[in-house]
Amino acid sequence: MSVTRRAVFEELAALTDAERAETTTVGALAAALDADDRVVEAHVDGLVGCDLARRDPDGCVRVTVTGEQLLALGIDGPVVVDPRSSRTG
Amino acid sequence: MSQDTPDQSPASDDAVQYDPTASRYDVLECRECENVVLALGRDDPPMTCHGEPMRRVTDVEMTVRPPDVRQVLLDAFGLPKAGLDICLCVIGEGPLSANEVAERLGYDRSTVTRYLNTLVDLGLLQRAQLNREAGGVVNVYHSVDLEWMRRETLVGFYVWAGEAAALIEEANLTKQDYLADDTDRSLPEVFWESFADE
Repeated sequence: MSVTRRAVFEELAALTDAERAETTTVGALAAALDADDRVVEAHVDGLVGCDLARRDPDGCVRVTVTGEQLLALGIDGPVVVDPRSSRTG
Repeated sequence: MSQDTPDQSPASDDAVQYDPTASRYDVLECRECENVVLALGRDDPPMTCHGEPMRRVTDVEMTVRPPDVRQVLLDAFGLPKAGLDICLCVIGEGPLSANEVAERLGYDRSTVTRYLNTLVDLGLLQRAQLNREAGGVVNVYHSVDLEWMRRETLVGFYVWAGEAAALIEEANLTKQDYLADDTDRSLPEVFWESFADE
């Protein structure tokens, strides 16, 4: 079943927590979305590249503070994230 | 014999002429004065001048070159094709990183960042700054409301077209002034000097 990166992002944010460092696995994420593991894995990689998700050394994943802030903005639509932005903005 | 290339000539096969019965816009003129206006997206001529409905222009003989959307965006907004490609990427799927946009479109990452900021300056994208877990900030670019974008680009283009129309009118007045003056100088010299700062 095809799944969008946005759907993976929202499900990841629902299953995990940045502040409490609560994580999940790609497998659990894929099961929750009824999607193929490899597709979800690829979307998670993309989210990590956007600084919206973080992958721990053990392979578990979670949303980042940045990701939670982005969802809190309630932006209705896609975005481009520039994670190499200047530290001073 | 002209040395112009065929595709530079307004008389080429693909030249366009205003057709009041088929065009997607109307060119209207006042019956009393020299007021000429462009109307887009209206079925009936709604505008009045000197208390009377303006009438459609029906006797245009001049043909013009068909506009190329890439050239229009570049001239009116300073937005080259790369900028439009990036804008369309933001309207499409996501979230995407600037690196992914660069890879998909085949542009340098610095080009992507530059045009993302240009699009923000033009009002076609919005930018938000989010905190980064490792410190610092992350810029997030997202599209504005599409209806708003449509209005902004149309009004922006009309501003540009108005500026262009003013230049053409100024050129016509320069020619009139030249004919009225008793001068030994040539018209091309006087004409281009009047636009020296353009």
